[in-house]
Amino acid sequence: MKQLTHTLRRTAALLLAAAVAVPALRAEESPKNGIDNLLKAALHGWHVKLSAGFNLGGTSPLPLPREIRGIDSYNPTMCVSIEGAVQKRFDDSPWGMLIGVRLETKGMKTDATVKDYHMEMTERDGGYMEGAFTGHVKTKVRNTYLTFPVLATYAVGDRWTVSAGPYVAWMYDGDFSGAAYDGYLRHGDPTGPRADVSEATYDFSDDLRKFQWGVQAGAEWKAYKHLSVYANLEWGINSIFPADFGGVTFDMYPIYANVGFSYLF
Amino acid sequence: MKHFTHPLVLGAAALLLSSCIREEALNAECDITGFDAAWLQAKKDAGYPLTGAPNVQNDRVSHYVLAGTDRSALDPSFVLTPGASIYLGDGTGRTPGNGVVRDFSTPQTYTVVSEDGAWSKQYEVSFPYLFPIEDCAFEHFTLDSEGKYYVYYEVAPDGARQNYWDSGNSGYLFCGMAKTPEEFPTVTEPVGYRGNGVRLETLSTGDFGKRVNMPIAAGNLFIGEFNSAQAMLFPRQATKFGLQLVAGEPLYLSGWYKYTAGPEYRDIEGNVLTDRRDTADIYAVLYECDPAKFKALDGDEVLTSERIVSLARIDKPGEPQEWTFFREPFRPMNGKTFDEARLAQNGYAIAIVATSSRQGAYFEGAVGSVLYVDELHIEWKDTGDGSEEETEDTL
Repeated sequence: MKQLTHTLRRTAALLLAAAVAVPALRAEESPKNGIDNLLKAALHGWHVKLSAGFNLGGTSPLPLPREIRGIDSYNPTMCVSIEGAVQKRFDDSPWGMLIGVRLETKGMKTDATVKDYHMEMTERDGGYMEGAFTGHVKTKVRNTYLTFPVLATYAVGDRWTVSAGPYVAWMYDGDFSGAAYDGYLRHGDPTGPRADVSEATYDFSDDLRKFQWGVQAGAEWKAYKHLSVYANLEWGINSIFPADFGGVTFDMYPIYANVGFSYLF
Repeated sequence: MKHFTHPLVLGAAALLLSSCIREEALNAECDITGFDAAWLQAKKDAGYPLTGAPNVQNDRVSHYVLAGTDRSALDPSFVLTPGASIYLGDGTGRTPGNGVVRDFSTPQTYTVVSEDGAWSKQYEVSFPYLFPIEDCAFEHFTLDSEGKYYVYYEVAPDGARQNYWDSGNSGYLFCGMAKTPEEFPTVTEPVGYRGNGVRLETLSTGDFGKRVNMPIAAGNLFIGEFNSAQAMLFPRQATKFGLQLVAGEPLYLSGWYKYTAGPEYRDIEGNVLTDRRDTADIYAVLYECDPAKFKALDGDEVLTSERIVSLARIDKPGEPQEWTFFREPFRPMNGKTFDEARLAQNGYAIAIVATSSRQGAYFEGAVGSVLYVDELHIEWKDTGDGSEEETEDTL
């Protein structure tokens, strides 16, 4: 069921991309009246591009805090991105710009060993506990964003284009959950009473921040006239949790490589 | 697609992350994890009458000795968190504390400092005498060292504080539901039958409790030790019932109580069992122990162990709304009879247990069940002169 919802959402994003694309195409076909002329002028030189790719990376504190003693396993999981963009190369210049809309999932699963890892739990029913955990922590992140990149592009020769710029993103579906297991918790601080824990699950999905922004940079290589392959690094600038959130005391940033191919109209 | 899951790619990513692992911080904990085993063994080998098992709490370490033993020159050694140091007193003099001869006629203070030097903790170390228990009026109580919840104790004939009683309060701390000492399952009732009593209430452990499959906490109070560190892993094994507080053959357990069952009886999964009603439990159990190697009965075996000699229990306590007197005889179990010779060897232990939900140890019961208990009393054979009178008096 969830898969179906995802598919529907992706289709919606494609339609959105197409909506951007259609006026651009039509403008080139029939310049009839003043408005069309204006459109033509405005859209002159804009090209439409559809891309599909994968996100591979992590949502991680930077640098890793000393409380994290080891990453025992890491799984990038299957994270797909679909993007529709319009791009324009300025006249007689290698420079250009790109505006896009991208539907993408950024996720991972990790299993880490931690020591004196500060944690705070606020339950909906009023339970509140703060302490230091030593043991293992499983984390699953799967956040789906609608991302709007605005990039400067620079053509290097006929086939290569490099790009860089900021993006803003709206997270409409987020999952940040996991478990603390095989360890012990000290109530309050490292001198507090100790409780050994076999497994205690946590779910901070509702605490995730909806708004994200960051920068991305990458390169694209035109393999054929209409088809190119690309790789971008997307670096989140604001933490996925609000500053006052105590469940995870360090800031966590989504840092993902996005690789895939594009079709240029 | 294939290349994304290639082990090399995953390996590279893991390597990238691992390369960011920073130097390990020094230990921040500063625990006495126990008495040094070699020191304990040496004392036992030398015939020093240590009894029972060591009791290691977060801020207190003790080991019972036979009443009357000379405690004026003991040199205990302790095992600490790796890297931690132990000092005498409040630690200001930085005088190393392990193996130092001190006078334990009264409890002594030690300070443990963590390896990173940022944390320290004071411990009270004592070698209390064991005195048989008789009257439990629940007039002696205080808050734990962090001021979070009530703890109960008895006062020995020599005026020393005897930490015979324990409850599940230290475990309830971890679910974070209680904001004040009064919101814990085991609290003091200022209007007891006589003076203060105790009020035991079955409470919800909230979302956190649900997630560790321990949805309720019954109010309880018992003679013994609750190992809260183990409570989440092995809740019943973490509850150690009984101490060697036996004066003779116990005949009756008596006292006063009142009880109200909570509205909905639930199983561990949270299903309401409409045909069940919560029941209180008040009992005392006498069991055999090996004085050289004391092992208390835990929550799984306290009513079923083959070591049980006799049991006094209110079978059907009902729901009396007013203070109600009970006097239950110790009924023999496992075909055992009381043996004075065994008693002379300190080979018996006794536990008194009260809980607001009889199946609370299995996380079954009704949130809101409240049991009040006061003036518990064990009548020992041959010491019945005063107690018989008191019984009539209280009736």
